[in-house]
Amino acid sequence: MPALVLRSYEPYLSKVAVKKPSDNAHFGRILWARNLYLALVMLFLFLPIAILVVFSFNASEMNIIFTGFTTEWYGKLLENPNLLEAFRNTLLIAIISTAVSTILGTISAVGMKQYNFPTERVVSKLIYIPIVIPEIVLGISLLSVFTLAGVELGFWSVLLAHITFSVPFVITSVRSTLYALPKNVEEAAEDLGAGKWKTFWYVTLPLIKPGIVSGAILAFTLSLDDVVISYFTAGPGTNTLPLYIYSIIKTGITPDVNALTTLMLVFTIIALIVSSKLQTKRQLERTL
Amino acid sequence: MRKKHKLASSSSPEVDEQKGRTSSSRSVFDGHKLVFTLPVIIYAFLLILAPLVYILFLSFLTADNYGGYSYDFTLQNYAEVFDGTNLGIFLKSAGIGLLTTAICLLISYPFAIFLRDKPLKTQNLIIKLVMVPFLTNSLIRTYGWITLLRKNGVINTSLLFFGIIKSPLPLMYNYLGIIIGMVYTLLPFMILPVYSAVSKVDQNLLDAAEDLGAGKLRKFKEVYLPLTLAGAFNGSLMVFIPAIGYFFIADILGGGKAMIIGNLIKNQFLTARNWPLGAALSIFLLVITFGLVKLYEKIGGDLDELGAG
Amino acid sequence: MSELSRFSKPAKASLLVVFLLVLAVSLIALVKNRPSREDSPKLTLNVLNWTSYIPDEIIADFESEYGIKVNYGTYSSNEELLAKVNSSALGTYDLIFPSDYMVDLMISRDLLAPLDLSRLQNLDNLNPKFLAQEYDEDNTYSVPFLLATSVIIYDESKLAPIRSYKDLLRPELENNLVILDDQRITLGAMLQASGSSMNATSSAALSGALNFYEKLRPSIKAFDSDSPKTFLITGETDAGIIWNAEATLAAAERDSLKIVYPAEGFALSMDNYCLVKGGKNTDAAYLFIDYLLRDDVSQAIVDEYPYISPNLSVASLPDSELDEILSRGTYVKNVGADIKKLDKLWAKFK
Repeated sequence: MPALVLRSYEPYLSKVAVKKPSDNAHFGRILWARNLYLALVMLFLFLPIAILVVFSFNASEMNIIFTGFTTEWYGKLLENPNLLEAFRNTLLIAIISTAVSTILGTISAVGMKQYNFPTERVVSKLIYIPIVIPEIVLGISLLSVFTLAGVELGFWSVLLAHITFSVPFVITSVRSTLYALPKNVEEAAEDLGAGKWKTFWYVTLPLIKPGIVSGAILAFTLSLDDVVISYFTAGPGTNTLPLYIYSIIKTGITPDVNALTTLMLVFTIIALIVSSKLQTKRQLERTL
Repeated sequence: MRKKHKLASSSSPEVDEQKGRTSSSRSVFDGHKLVFTLPVIIYAFLLILAPLVYILFLSFLTADNYGGYSYDFTLQNYAEVFDGTNLGIFLKSAGIGLLTTAICLLISYPFAIFLRDKPLKTQNLIIKLVMVPFLTNSLIRTYGWITLLRKNGVINTSLLFFGIIKSPLPLMYNYLGIIIGMVYTLLPFMILPVYSAVSKVDQNLLDAAEDLGAGKLRKFKEVYLPLTLAGAFNGSLMVFIPAIGYFFIADILGGGKAMIIGNLIKNQFLTARNWPLGAALSIFLLVITFGLVKLYEKIGGDLDELGAG
Repeated sequence: MSELSRFSKPAKASLLVVFLLVLAVSLIALVKNRPSREDSPKLTLNVLNWTSYIPDEIIADFESEYGIKVNYGTYSSNEELLAKVNSSALGTYDLIFPSDYMVDLMISRDLLAPLDLSRLQNLDNLNPKFLAQEYDEDNTYSVPFLLATSVIIYDESKLAPIRSYKDLLRPELENNLVILDDQRITLGAMLQASGSSMNATSSAALSGALNFYEKLRPSIKAFDSDSPKTFLITGETDAGIIWNAEATLAAAERDSLKIVYPAEGFALSMDNYCLVKGGKNTDAAYLFIDYLLRDDVSQAIVDEYPYISPNLSVASLPDSELDEILSRGTYVKNVGADIKKLDKLWAKFK
């Protein structure tokens, strides 16, 4: 769920109020207090992460006191087969479920806009369910039907579960760009003799790409971080990274996990910088 | 029924025969409709509705002692939902959820209002920074809190060092720990929609209020609050619902004795072997969720914006 | 058309970036894992075992020695094991490690497959004293793996001597105790503390146990079965009712910790190798059991997790001490349908 945040972030940028100039006498002091408040909230958000980054360089194996600097745990990380296998499973599931749910979500969003079809009203309500219901309910209900249907819990059951909770996020993300499209673009294409398929492929698809991309990123991060639903639908041999981390938190965490977190954090920050660079470029192009 | 007929006929041969009239695209059109609507229908019914209907069914069955169940229909499970022990956990859990939501609201409003006055670039940067921690693993972040909160953790050690306290504070393995963990994990879900709503408030309205002599509190009550209600409710929904279900936070920071509804449901499936009771608890949770979502729609919230701000 | 290109170009670029990042990371993950893949084990084995029970290296050694891939899952209590085996499709798990009473229960629920003891060459390594127990009289379904006991552990330097469960009620222990998150063991301790037998199920006995628990409740800081030693090592608590090996490990890290067998009695818990009915990798399971029965492997396990090994040559304890533990401790028993009562009582503990 935390990844929801990603999607939200585009719309905010354009809707910003203009700052009013203030010549209040107390302004300096008030400003100081306000900045302190903002800083404290940011501190709260970053504190636990900062601690983990610091302890990833800690020579002591216990996460209690900092006893000396080492990069040993980063080496250990590459020698921990269980952790690497969990990492690989997580990535594989995230990649496949993102691909499937992006395609399914995109055609669903387009189809639901273009067509009336039987059960449309029900379907359009149903797709919100995975977004709003507690993950634990989705997890146990999927576990129950998998058991009922005799599906062996493992890679495929986790994958199917991830697709299930990702699709609605892709649909709503695609829809937000889809409904912002000027209607006449698609009509014009059809008037010019392009068939439905061609119109979709050459007109609609390129236009809604931003929605698809943010939907895909959302699906990817959701899958990467999912604990609750994987917890119920995984079986022997399909350890995912969150499940692995859960099990070692219970039995005493090893510092190589801190190292992994640090690496993932660096990776995330790079991805954010790249995406924000692209975004500025896009905004620039839009305003041109 | 008429709609159903439409779909059936759209791919049927009779319609295909008409294709000559306009162009070959007409027959493609039918396949197009099928490809663009059938998958979502199958998905919605098979992967969303069927599992929920099945746990509804399960919630009326009778559990045996070992994890199986028999097809004797009963309302006993629902009676057990409201039995003393379970009800107690429900109430505590709802309390934790509400407290978490309230704390997140209290943190988010000033944050959003102060941030709104910053230059655009700063706003973008801060909002991006708010997201960074939440793109790393949520379990790891929760684990980070153990290092901070435990008896010999960073916070207690520092407070003791500076002589602020004489003996370590019990910051975790209790409900306090759970609330800290929940607020931390769910805060961005509140900050983002609240910030989004606050940043959209028209500056002219605020200036007008100020010109009319409204103080800060009045300005908040009469301008910000009514205009940002849907955003705040959106955030509250996205905070409250996970806050009563995230069993792993209660597991890690609650020490196994402080439980929330999520743990209760998990235990029915994973240790107490009472699937029908677990299903009944889930249905109860589902009803609460749907009620809250309806309320959100009623005050003018858009479902598409849920979790998106 | 300019409208189109304006939108699609950056979108294309960002897609490409995301794709490349993903590709890079997955390549790293895949390449790094190749060595273990190259053995391309044809056989797999699905094991479900207690947390903190077999070191990862032992499993890795087995995998490379036999070319069998072990899918290793864990559980924290017998009840969790039962729930997992019961709710999973037939053939999901091959080998499990239930305790005594759970072996009995699982046999009665027809969840286990009989063992062919002739396929276990290292069976002779075991001390006969641990074979042919009441829960499976001729070892048709089970062979002993390790014996655990529950113990009290406390910090001598901070607390006055503790001899019994009753001593844990002292106010100095407030919010200072970690206890096992295990239904039968912890309930058993409460039953014994209130003067009943560990396996009693009468309502008088159960309400006595609940009474004692309510008095103990202020002392309890946390329930944990997975790694209660961490609480004691980090100084989070100064006392605990935990597994013997966890206590031994904690005492090794913190000198002032002392282990005592409670005066009212304590639990014995013999965990066993059992095959799950419908398991698909029986051959691999026999190889794994036989491997774990080896004296050197058993020794290595006990070195890491100091429980009591049933192997004759693995010297965990002097004979006299072992006999005393066996005579003073009590095995948890299958209580049949009364399990429902215990489930209900346990729910009140949380």
